[in-house]
Amino acid sequence: MTPANGNPAAIAIRNVSKRFGSFTAVDHVDISVPQGAFLVLVGPSGCGKSTLLRMLAGLETPTEGEMAFMGRTVSDGTRGLVADAGARDAGLVFQSYALWPHMTVAGNIEWPLKVAKWSKADRAARVDEVLGLLGIAALKERYPAEISGGQQQRVAIARTIGPKPSILLFDEPLSNLDAKLRIEMRSELMRIHRATGATSVYVTHDQVEAMTMASHVAVLNNGKVDQFGAPLELLENPRTTFVATFLGTPPANLVSVTKQDGGLVYDGLRLADARRAKAHDGVQLLYRAHDLKVGEIPGQPAITARFEEAAPIAGRTMVTAFANGQRLTAMADGYFSAAIGDQIRLSFLGEPSAVFAMTGERID
Amino acid sequence: MSAVTTSVLSQRGFLRSETLVPIILILVVGILVIAPLVKIVLSTLTVEGLDAWQAVLASKMSENLWWRPLLNTVLLGIGVAMGCLLMGGFLAWLVVLTDVPAPRTLGLLATLPFMIPSFAAALAWGALFRNSRLGGSVGFFEANGYIVPDWLAWGLLPTLIVLIAHYYSLAFTVISAALSSIGADLVEAAQVAGAKRSRIFFGIILPVVTPALIAAASLTFAGAVSNFAAPALLGLPVRMQTLSTRLFGMIETGQTERGFVIALLLIVVSASFLWLGERLVAGRKNFVTVTGKGGRTKRFPLGKWRWPLFAVAVMLCLLTTFLPALILTASSFALQNGSLFSNWTTHFWIGEGGTDMAQGQAGIFRNPVLIEALWMTLKLAVTVAITTMALGLALAHTIARNKGSVLATVLGQVSFTPILIPSIAFAAAYIALFGAPIGPLPSLYGTFLLLVLAASAHLLPYAVQSGRSVLGQISADIEESARLTGAGFFRRMCAIIMPLAIRGLLAGALLVFVKIVRDLSLVVLLFTSTSPVLSMLAYRYAAEGFMQFANAITMVILVLCVVATLLAHRLQNRVQKWKSA
Repeated sequence: MTPANGNPAAIAIRNVSKRFGSFTAVDHVDISVPQGAFLVLVGPSGCGKSTLLRMLAGLETPTEGEMAFMGRTVSDGTRGLVADAGARDAGLVFQSYALWPHMTVAGNIEWPLKVAKWSKADRAARVDEVLGLLGIAALKERYPAEISGGQQQRVAIARTIGPKPSILLFDEPLSNLDAKLRIEMRSELMRIHRATGATSVYVTHDQVEAMTMASHVAVLNNGKVDQFGAPLELLENPRTTFVATFLGTPPANLVSVTKQDGGLVYDGLRLADARRAKAHDGVQLLYRAHDLKVGEIPGQPAITARFEEAAPIAGRTMVTAFANGQRLTAMADGYFSAAIGDQIRLSFLGEPSAVFAMTGERID
Repeated sequence: MSAVTTSVLSQRGFLRSETLVPIILILVVGILVIAPLVKIVLSTLTVEGLDAWQAVLASKMSENLWWRPLLNTVLLGIGVAMGCLLMGGFLAWLVVLTDVPAPRTLGLLATLPFMIPSFAAALAWGALFRNSRLGGSVGFFEANGYIVPDWLAWGLLPTLIVLIAHYYSLAFTVISAALSSIGADLVEAAQVAGAKRSRIFFGIILPVVTPALIAAASLTFAGAVSNFAAPALLGLPVRMQTLSTRLFGMIETGQTERGFVIALLLIVVSASFLWLGERLVAGRKNFVTVTGKGGRTKRFPLGKWRWPLFAVAVMLCLLTTFLPALILTASSFALQNGSLFSNWTTHFWIGEGGTDMAQGQAGIFRNPVLIEALWMTLKLAVTVAITTMALGLALAHTIARNKGSVLATVLGQVSFTPILIPSIAFAAAYIALFGAPIGPLPSLYGTFLLLVLAASAHLLPYAVQSGRSVLGQISADIEESARLTGAGFFRRMCAIIMPLAIRGLLAGALLVFVKIVRDLSLVVLLFTSTSPVLSMLAYRYAAEGFMQFANAITMVILVLCVVATLLAHRLQNRVQKWKSA
């Protein structure tokens, strides 16, 4: 995948697999992004996203496939070769921050520059520059053990961007912070990404982070890329049920239906035209939460469900209920509440957004 | 495309294989550990070697060469293992699980005997119980008119007692660690269920610590069968031979092949018991790590037995640590063992030579041989401490970072092999390999280098173990983040790993130092007059009947060991500056 302007992709991952013994952590991943992109690798824990990132960082060698930065091969799985982690022009922010406890904040930022043989004056200038960029100049002489978690996070980022790498890698960097700080650091990270002009790869299990930060999202599931594209594209056009239900807040609904008399029928209720199922007999229909409304609406099909919980969101209420053992998320106008176990009615507004085979792939 | 890539990669040396460092390390441990063992086996497969096998195992001599020493060795091993279990187990129970007074002090006392050389207790025994059988000066009791029977002065029983006094602290360490892992809630759960004290002990505590008991038994067994000093000092005068003294005798009298054969047999005996212990424990490992968050242990009240049992424990500790030290000190100042505490003279320490005392020999601090031996010992101990810790750190690091790969597994197994090999047999293997020139390389026999190589290889398992525990405190992320900056292996070691590990490493190095200073069984074969060490001098003096000199030198060793041990404890317990915030 070479961008139209003819430049090589900033990061190209070509058919990369990683196996640990008989376990396949990363399975034939093939994606590439242009310079300046913010690629988010998202997926549930154990999907292989961190392994993929560690291969990008040069900490692991791919079992198969190739990785190239700016057109230069940095890992070659078939021959078991890997460019030295330091020679890749990439920086990694660790989930644990991995600050060197015996060096001060300034020392932590300066040491990589020393390794890269910067002159003393350049080092001092750059240390002050990144300290300023992260707003932690006051902590310069402190040791990592003497500053808070959020401050440690900033030091870790400052240390990584110090040598001006053209590729920034982030391994769930926000997962150790509390909710408020996390939102703050999210915008902070975006600001730094723009300020450095680097190409970033960001690993998270939090789909909200993926949706808010990414220019490109790759959804990983069991080591495979389920779908790769722009965030909105994934949201609007999910190719699998996994992507459809993993992304988006509140989560979308899948309703299993069968073909009967030219219609797709759920519990005796006709929801859509049978032609949308193509040759399949049983399919799953995708309804977003805002396409499922609490209460009867004249002319729209409705089902009965058992009320589970309600959460107010931006003036409306997100209602979770169970029908035939399936969890459904619907919206109610204003504030809504009921007792657990109460029977409530849910109405389908319009056609399903997408139709999936029972095995998970998109049909229509 | 691929051809272009290949040339780019190889020209710049930009990509590299990650298996280089492990392969270098495998070569190093291969030369240090595997090569001597292979060579000693090969040496016994020559014509002379096969004759030696026959002589040892199937000839008229084999009763004297193999069966009797084997019987003595196994008797000593089993006796020591049982004695150590009883004594170490009793003390561990008292210190960890009861409300005995001053448990910390008792615990420290119980670990001390292992830090002093085993020949200290053997020499002290001689100073007290030596009888007139051999001529020369007699011990304290006989000199004061008591008749000391042979069985109490020499042979199996004194050797057994001296070895138990040395190795019980090893059993104590292993068992008390297991006992402290029994969380209070485990015991309380049994109490809530209505179990009585004895029921809790036999139903809960004993099964949980069984693996530790087995481990302690096999470790003390292996220690006893490979010990050289005690049977040599207390058994040889009455011709009680163990496999290790036989091995020494064979090599010293030039019957090298027979020595090698006995060395191999000794390895088999020691390793098979360690292996047996390992097998017995293997299936029940899950018991050892029952509770992750220990710390709080349940202490049973002893009631009226509290002080009597405390007195027994203190007595045991004093008898095995302070009494030998006291006797050795007194003896090194006394003219005769009969009057240990009167007529003291400093002659044996600083007296001038040429007088009618001690056959004209000078005191140890005026004896140039001893001064040289002191420096040689310190030089050896410091060198080995540095080499083993460096090697141990590199090995532990490589094994941890390449976890799961074949290379790491091989590396781990090879570096732990020396644990199965009694040190005197290991020394024999080194003679087999380096005793003669190898190609263009000269024979290393008698050189300082050979001592360093053999000692480093022998202590490799210990070094890797302490390297592991040091590295366990440094997360992989810390080092990987350094790797990402482009810093090479040595740079990362010096700037990141070393500063964080330095205290743990120093503590480990000090303990290696102690192990070398107090060692006799490894150096006894490799020693020559050009590379004298203190322990060897003490042994020589004792064998020639100059007990005061031997005791004085042993005291020097003992003081060195105790000071280094206490220093190591201090280092381990002190907080590092950047953590003190």
